[in-house]
Amino acid sequence: MSTEQTNHTGAVGLDIGTSRIVTARHGQQGYRYRSELNAFVSVPFSKLTEIALRKDNVPYAVRGEEILVHGNEAEKFADLLEVNTRRPMHLGILNPAEPDSLPRIRSLLELLLGEGSAGHELYYSTPAPLLGATDGHTYHEESVRRMLMELGFQPKSIHEGLAVVYAEMENSNYSGIGISCGGGLCNVCLAYLAVPVFSFSTAKAGDYIDASAAAASGELATRVRICKESNFHFNGRQQEKVHQALNIYYDETIRNLIGAMKEAFSTTRSLPRFNRPIPMVLSGGTALPRGFAARFEEILRSAEFPVPLSEVRLAADPLNTTAKGALLAALSES
Amino acid sequence: MGTGLRTLHIYRYSRLVERRASKLIDPVERLRYLRQAMRAGAKVRVVDLGRAANCMIVLALLVLLPLSMGTDAGQARSLVQPAAGIELPPQEDIMPVVWQVESAKEAESYSNGLRIDNRYRVANQPRGYWAFERADLGRKRWRRDPAGIVFHTTESHLSPFEAEQNHKLKRVGQWLLEYVRQNRSYHFLIDRFGRVHRVVEESDAAHHAGHSVWADQDWAYLNLNASFLGVALETRTEPGATPGLTPAQTHATRMLTEMLRHKHRIAAVNCLTHAQVSVNPRNMRIGNHVDWAGGFPFAPAGLPDNYALPLPSLELFGFEYDSTFIRASGESLLQGMLAAEQRLGREALESGMTPASLRGQRRDRYQRALAEMADSAGQEKGS
Repeated sequence: MSTEQTNHTGAVGLDIGTSRIVTARHGQQGYRYRSELNAFVSVPFSKLTEIALRKDNVPYAVRGEEILVHGNEAEKFADLLEVNTRRPMHLGILNPAEPDSLPRIRSLLELLLGEGSAGHELYYSTPAPLLGATDGHTYHEESVRRMLMELGFQPKSIHEGLAVVYAEMENSNYSGIGISCGGGLCNVCLAYLAVPVFSFSTAKAGDYIDASAAAASGELATRVRICKESNFHFNGRQQEKVHQALNIYYDETIRNLIGAMKEAFSTTRSLPRFNRPIPMVLSGGTALPRGFAARFEEILRSAEFPVPLSEVRLAADPLNTTAKGALLAALSES
Repeated sequence: MGTGLRTLHIYRYSRLVERRASKLIDPVERLRYLRQAMRAGAKVRVVDLGRAANCMIVLALLVLLPLSMGTDAGQARSLVQPAAGIELPPQEDIMPVVWQVESAKEAESYSNGLRIDNRYRVANQPRGYWAFERADLGRKRWRRDPAGIVFHTTESHLSPFEAEQNHKLKRVGQWLLEYVRQNRSYHFLIDRFGRVHRVVEESDAAHHAGHSVWADQDWAYLNLNASFLGVALETRTEPGATPGLTPAQTHATRMLTEMLRHKHRIAAVNCLTHAQVSVNPRNMRIGNHVDWAGGFPFAPAGLPDNYALPLPSLELFGFEYDSTFIRASGESLLQGMLAAEQRLGREALESGMTPASLRGQRRDRYQRALAEMADSAGQEKGS
């Protein structure tokens, strides 16, 4: 009994998303999640600022003449200083334009995971290749893997879409379409009895919506994002310009995603023969606005989707779905 | 193997896996079982007998995996991994109670209604065989008691089972009996009227099983002519169908099985069909004979569904199977094959080997045991 519990508490699911890093563990109280914003902001160094940050337990690092505040507090500082946050990741992978990406992600992982110990199973999410691309994300995947090994874990990767299937589709024996609408990418996986049939990603996702809406409305992308996550919804007429722009770019993103899925179904050979309609589950921060699932389903129906679906629904806990799925993969290995 | 056949195999395997998964309530257990079972299915080695060379044909879901290699699905620790859901529950083995009521030269009768016709009885070489300890085939014991029963089909000509055909039915049955007697093929033959004929004496071996293997909880048996009783049912396997039996044959099978089990204290798990035990040591494939590969009436015969038992040929002796056998197999037997593969995979994991290398080791062990049997043929030794 105690051995099994120890094993279960040792397993970790890790969602390394463009916007957030989320960990999932399982204990006697059920699933436990922790998350940090995958972003940081640079503040000019002063002793006073450092003391204040330390006093408030704000995660930070000093680098030369600047203090890098990372994680959840970064957004507050960015809003305060009216600057955009810096992002260690872009389009689902390590941001090649950000020289501090690896150290910042490592800091966040240390914050969230602590030290692992030999034998602890850890599954971390990786994005699937972009639709039509043959290459995966080897550099990103391998960099993260090494970082996690250095922290003492035994890491294995899982595509985000498959993690959604594992987290949400127990009732269909893990058959169905899992979609993670994240910041950098939308990840899709069609799985049959827990086996991925195809996985792919599309580059139009939350960041695209934020950036496009910001450009159209003249706001900072960070502020658009806060606005999107706090009070944007799909129902009714949109009065504010930002909301109108968000509506437009959300629709475009959904259409792009559905078009990609149709293309994937038409080009994938040896599709399994489903003997009943399959579920489709949406997750991720970009799927959070009220009315998203209904809007998605509406566009899906008009697009004549080629596979019969039993339901289109939002995941029970969209921000933690990928981490939970990764955890289930780890638990099922242990 | 054609695409259509492969699709059929995938479909059948998936249905079987899905059904079993649905019985697991815990989501982690269910996911674990599915991942392991589907990995196993993806790598099942299928050899097309129509080709001379061994060709690795990915049976099931490898065709479904190309985009996921290198990530989760591509990181199997070994070919097959242990599956919590595949273990078979222990089955209660209730020994029937049957006694002989009357015995005469030409016939005998039993308390359960069984009547055996002795007119075609014939002697053969007296029974005596080596039983090997299951654990490692290392120690062996010389035995004279029948360890089990193997059920066969005669694969003989069948006339329509109609009153107008009665004369023909009797004549064909008699020819068959004479043939079986002449060749000492089986211990018992049940004709289409449900009449039970004793052919080879129970105390002797019959030429019914050829190259074959089986194992129960403690002992392993090689080449079952001597160690197992052969019971043949007059029927044949039609393409794409399981052999048919008359109600009288089914009833007689039950009565004869009950009598033999009681008389020789035969465990239910040692009552098998020929397809379950038949092997070909030359190519190390199972199912050299495929009679009763599906459709044997275990339940009406008063037996548990022994098709679901893990096949020792796959688990313990290093054999593999081919597309012909899969095509002939019923769903239950596929379940037994899967269970055997899972067990082999688990043992490989526990011993830090790949299933392929463990299989190779088991083959060597089987060959050694065969050689030992040949060396000591006819000897009567203790272990």
